Amino acid sequence: MKKWKDILLAMVAMVLIAAVSAAAEAPLILDLRPDNNNPSAPVMGDHLRFWSTIMNTGADPIEGLVAWISLVEIDPGNEQPVDLEDWSAHKAVTGATLEPGQSLRTDWPMRLIKGGDYRVVVSVTDRGSHTVFTSPTIQFSVRQKPVLQAGRVLPVAAGVPLLIIGLMVFNKTRQRRKKVQL
Amino acid sequence: MKTHWTIAYKESAQMLRSQRGLLWVLAFSGLLSAFSLLLVSNTELSLLDNAQVVYMMSGTVLAAGALLAAILGSDAYAGEKERGTLVPLLCAPISVTALLTGKALGMLTAWGVMFAEATPYLWAVGASGQNLGAALLYLALFGTPVVLGFGYLAMAVSARTGSVLASLLSTITLLMLAASPFLIGPGLRGTAIGRALDAVNPFAGALNTFDSVIIDSEPFSAQFARLLLVVVWLGLCLLAARRSAARPNFQ
Repeated sequence: MKKWKDILLAMVAMVLIAAVSAAAEAPLILDLRPDNNNPSAPVMGDHLRFWSTIMNTGADPIEGLVAWISLVEIDPGNEQPVDLEDWSAHKAVTGATLEPGQSLRTDWPMRLIKGGDYRVVVSVTDRGSHTVFTSPTIQFSVRQKPVLQAGRVLPVAAGVPLLIIGLMVFNKTRQRRKKVQL
Repeated sequence: MKTHWTIAYKESAQMLRSQRGLLWVLAFSGLLSAFSLLLVSNTELSLLDNAQVVYMMSGTVLAAGALLAAILGSDAYAGEKERGTLVPLLCAPISVTALLTGKALGMLTAWGVMFAEATPYLWAVGASGQNLGAALLYLALFGTPVVLGFGYLAMAVSARTGSVLASLLSTITLLMLAASPFLIGPGLRGTAIGRALDAVNPFAGALNTFDSVIIDSEPFSAQFARLLLVVVWLGLCLLAARRSAARPNFQ
């Protein structure tokens, strides 16, 4: 029995070693950093910028490279991937080719639409490999900001129709007076 | 006073002094009030920022303006015919151009009233955000030709068919088709057919400009092609209205 356990352990170890060595042979380095001008305590509506650097450390060119940015909300009870539709117009770099030793630096601008805690990550894959490489994640918090001020909307929403009703009543009264005078 | 000014004055008075016209103004303010109250009370609003709200409200104002123009335009000739006033009007010493210009100026006044009415609402929802001034400017710049174009088109159909109902049905159906980009999501508009429709649809041109200017803060130079599209739309509708107004159906 102990012999079988040893064999099993040895097999698991071999798989792990193979996985680690495969990771060590990753043909690229992927880095992600926030821009120096990013606000330290961002509020909804602010803009953030991230810089990714993809470097081909292998001996062969990387062709058909695709890099994309992902955003994940990590608020307790509200953990979910974020649809970047409103957040960023620049969501991916596609079709680039990286020669050995060459690097590709890309900026990822983002407009903060909603308050909460988020993690951002850039992923890269290419035409040939069957692997997706991911950058280190960056975490940031966005402070909530009231978008519409009820104090300004309510008087307008109630006042304008009342003004028009007043105008209609005035108009009607004037017409009646004219009829009476005639 | 020139003839077209007299007609314009009569048409504008119908909008501003009659209870019927004021009822429309009230209904429009009710729509904008409901819309802004809905936005204030929406707990999911944090997904939208002020610019997005101003964009949505600008699109609503444009759609309501085009609807009013379609109604007024449909009534312009066919309404006169149905009330029995078209023949006397055509027998009076009024040129076709003066009649058309007068009716168009009346429509323009109605659009002006709607624009003025929408301004405090746009201010209320957008003052703490970005590009409110640009929103108002581009709503006037792009909204006016789109609205007038629908008015002229309705006039053309109204004069050609002599029926308010036929004109209303056809113009409003076309307006719904043109305004469909406001209803369907960007995903559907991203298809080849969606893009092709956007390229020839003046309503979509105006909406895309609002998006570009209000949300993305893009400059005027990026809007030139769309401005050309709405101006061409206005020109074509004016030509159609002139042709039909020269030979209105009063049988």
